[in-house]
Amino acid sequence: MVPAIELKGITKRFPGVLANDNVNLTVEEGEIHAVCGENGAGKSTLMKILYGMQPADEGTMNLFGEPHTFNSPNEAIDAGIGMVHQHFMLANQLTVLENVILGAEPTKQGGLIDFDTASKHLEEVGKAYGLTVDPFDLVESLEVGERQRVEIIKVLFRGAKILIFDEPTAVLVPQEVEELFRNMRELKANGATIIFIDHKLEEVLEIADTITVLRQGKTVATVKPADVSATDLAELMVGSELPTPQITDAKISDTIGITLDNVTVLDEDERPIVDAVSLEIRQGEILGIAGVEGNGQRELVGAILGTQKISDGSIFLMGDDISNKSVRSRRENGLGYIPQDRQEEGLLLTAPLWENAALGHQTAKPFSGGWNQWFIDREGSRSQTERIRREFDVRTPNVDVSAHALSGGNQQKLIVGREMVSEPSVLVASHPTRGIDVGAQASVWEQIRQARSNGLATLLISADLDELIGLSDVIVVMFRGRIVAQLNPSEITPRSLGAYMTGATSEENPA
Amino acid sequence: MSRLVLVRREQAVSGGQPLAFLIGIVTALLIGILLLVISGHDPMAVYERMFDSSLGSPRSWSITLNRAVPLGLAGLAVAVAGSMGLWNIGAEGQILAGAIMAAWIARIGEGWPSPILITIMLLASILGGALLGLGPAVAKAQIGVNEIITTLMLNEVALRLLQWLIHGPWKDPESRGFPLAPILPDEARLPDLFERAHWGAVIALIVIALFGLVASRTAWGYELRVAGSSGETAKYAGISLKRKIMTVLVLSGGIAGLAGGIELSGNADRIVEGISAGYGFAGIIVAALALMRPSGVAAVALLFGAVQVGGLSIQTMGVSSSVSTILQALILFGAIGAGVFSKYSIKRVGKEQKSNAGGMA
Ligand SMILES: Nc1ncnc2c1ncn2[C@@H]1O[C@H](COP(=O)(O)OP(=O)(O)OP(=O)(O)O)[C@@H](O)[C@H]1O
Ligand SMILES: [Mg+2]
Repeated sequence: MVPAIELKGITKRFPGVLANDNVNLTVEEGEIHAVCGENGAGKSTLMKILYGMQPADEGTMNLFGEPHTFNSPNEAIDAGIGMVHQHFMLANQLTVLENVILGAEPTKQGGLIDFDTASKHLEEVGKAYGLTVDPFDLVESLEVGERQRVEIIKVLFRGAKILIFDEPTAVLVPQEVEELFRNMRELKANGATIIFIDHKLEEVLEIADTITVLRQGKTVATVKPADVSATDLAELMVGSELPTPQITDAKISDTIGITLDNVTVLDEDERPIVDAVSLEIRQGEILGIAGVEGNGQRELVGAILGTQKISDGSIFLMGDDISNKSVRSRRENGLGYIPQDRQEEGLLLTAPLWENAALGHQTAKPFSGGWNQWFIDREGSRSQTERIRREFDVRTPNVDVSAHALSGGNQQKLIVGREMVSEPSVLVASHPTRGIDVGAQASVWEQIRQARSNGLATLLISADLDELIGLSDVIVVMFRGRIVAQLNPSEITPRSLGAYMTGATSEENPA
Repeated sequence: MSRLVLVRREQAVSGGQPLAFLIGIVTALLIGILLLVISGHDPMAVYERMFDSSLGSPRSWSITLNRAVPLGLAGLAVAVAGSMGLWNIGAEGQILAGAIMAAWIARIGEGWPSPILITIMLLASILGGALLGLGPAVAKAQIGVNEIITTLMLNEVALRLLQWLIHGPWKDPESRGFPLAPILPDEARLPDLFERAHWGAVIALIVIALFGLVASRTAWGYELRVAGSSGETAKYAGISLKRKIMTVLVLSGGIAGLAGGIELSGNADRIVEGISAGYGFAGIIVAALALMRPSGVAAVALLFGAVQVGGLSIQTMGVSSSVSTILQALILFGAIGAGVFSKYSIKRVGKEQKSNAGGMA
């Protein structure tokens, strides 16, 4: 059988980086093929080449035996390739149907959009692959997993036979991951070929038929999941044994880092989206918040940071009432923040790394200050950025490249590093290791534990329940804007936690 | 069927901007030859006159410089707002407001020592422009009213105020009925630099350089850049968008106002209705051509000034004002177009793209 995809000798250079170095990748028709590798190994670059977003410098590509070169994603789509991006590309104010047909609108005579044909076709596609969403729902009303399904349907609607997923599970909770995997198997049963990238190796072993491992831009192995363990995979990725992290003891002090007292946030319709939440995090303590996205976590974080107005209650940072303080004064007083969406909220993609490292800390040393506090201290900023690069293993040729030149995981490491080196007294961390590879994840956890033992109070939000359970000293569950349960991490599993999060179990009626 | 498409380059060609600028201008001049031949002129003679009158001698440089001053300041005003993604369409009115304020100081300060008088006049002109920027600034920052509309509307208000002044209270009794304000006293006039150029060029250059420095080197400028490129990121980094919008629009107005003060004190010598000659609107083009960068503004304003001076002078040799205007536009847009091309490359695409729906279901 001719393979669905055959990439041969793909090489892609960026200034100072060899992103793909003579990569070979063969994907058989109808298989689920995982691509694994460390942050910056060249996975996304390879996928972008396949999808026509970037040209390769060298190499050839065969699809079903036919040679192809793509100058744009449109050409790739025409050839039957579809990509589900990690950052959803949906218009929130439009319906599912409108989003699906965007860019490929079937038209009637006179140029009017033929919604009937479109919705019929959408239904067919949905049925054929067992993907269900209501075509007339507004995208903004959908949950993350559903939005992802819309992205998948959108790709199928255009006739894709080969689907590329770049880190599809990073934003999902375990239940949603299972749903996604069911969908992927269904797609496969219907003859689709799937390539996907994932940093969670257990997931890879569960779903993939074949696994290709990239290391520093080179293909180092292609293996079958039955023949390897997660540890084997990790070692293939880094090329050596993984270090075992040492455990630091938790020393929770009596001083309270941050207090939320009956905090309420209202949405546009004046309904409470954060409903009388009270919390206390002591220094040296990590409090994890579990919850399906859209249950008020985002607004709660906004309230703590000061980007979201609170309608009731008060917030104390190290004993000071900050309820009416500006974001700046909160940050200057020791509040660190790792944002949930690194590209939207945490970076300036077109600015150099050293400017990115100053974000949120631009008014403090070493970024400004010195003989004249008004001026940016370029030298200070650069050396601080170098320090982040060293301590958090941000892989980049230098600190003058712009942030968009970093791989997703390395962007994340830069942000985590930026907040950690500023030595905050309270840290709000939303999905701190999202998109970070296993090795680097362990070291970020280590850094957070280290900071905890030095007295950091942390509010942790994460879709990765292993991370939540593994790091937190106490976990609270948020559901519909309220805290519905307080749990001891040593007594729960990702499964049981998941049940709390969807509201299936609560403290009043345990499972 | 194959066709050509524009593809954004992954990296702009290094040093491409100035080169593209040149190529664009040369292309425009070549097209201009065609235009001139068709309209019955000797292209070489026209081009020679254009060049001589604008850049050919110290004297023509001085005329060009005087023209470039209001263009550059207006361009900077628009670029300052543009650096945050805001459009100040009101520079024209702010120039008038600046000129009015400066004229008012000149009226009450007659007899003051010249340096003091001029300094106060220019400060007042900044204040005048800033005041006109304040309204749109507050409206935008506090309730999100579109600044394009408010700034545009205030142009009319400033113009009406000026007309009322020169038809009424400020009308020169010796103007034999013409709506003109009296000529400024000597001590209110900017001294000369060389030939016909006044000190305005130096002031404008300092202001542009100062803003360039502030924008690129200070924490304030850094925050401006952050706010301009991503509002969401700025919010989380503790940057108050409201405050930034306020300062930027007021500052933008102040800079345009200064252009009005300088134009009055250096060039126009009295308030007349046409004191601004559309500099505020031309400033939008200057800023766009300069890609909203202060460093580019000075260069573009100089080019724009030269083109305008050249364009006016060829009308004296019989080239119609419309042909002259087309020629000016050609040169300017040749430069923009080429700037765009240095960021994109042209690619031949193999086959027609289709985007019809058709699933594999
Ligand atoms: N546009 C670009 N300009 C310069 N360098 C780039 C660009 N895109 C990627 N790179 C570099 O190429 C290398 C591979 O990046 P890529 O995004 O493919 O990594 P990845 O395997 O997807 O990593 P991650 O798991 O972190 O997403 C990295 O070193 C990155 O810095
Ligand atoms: Mg990637």
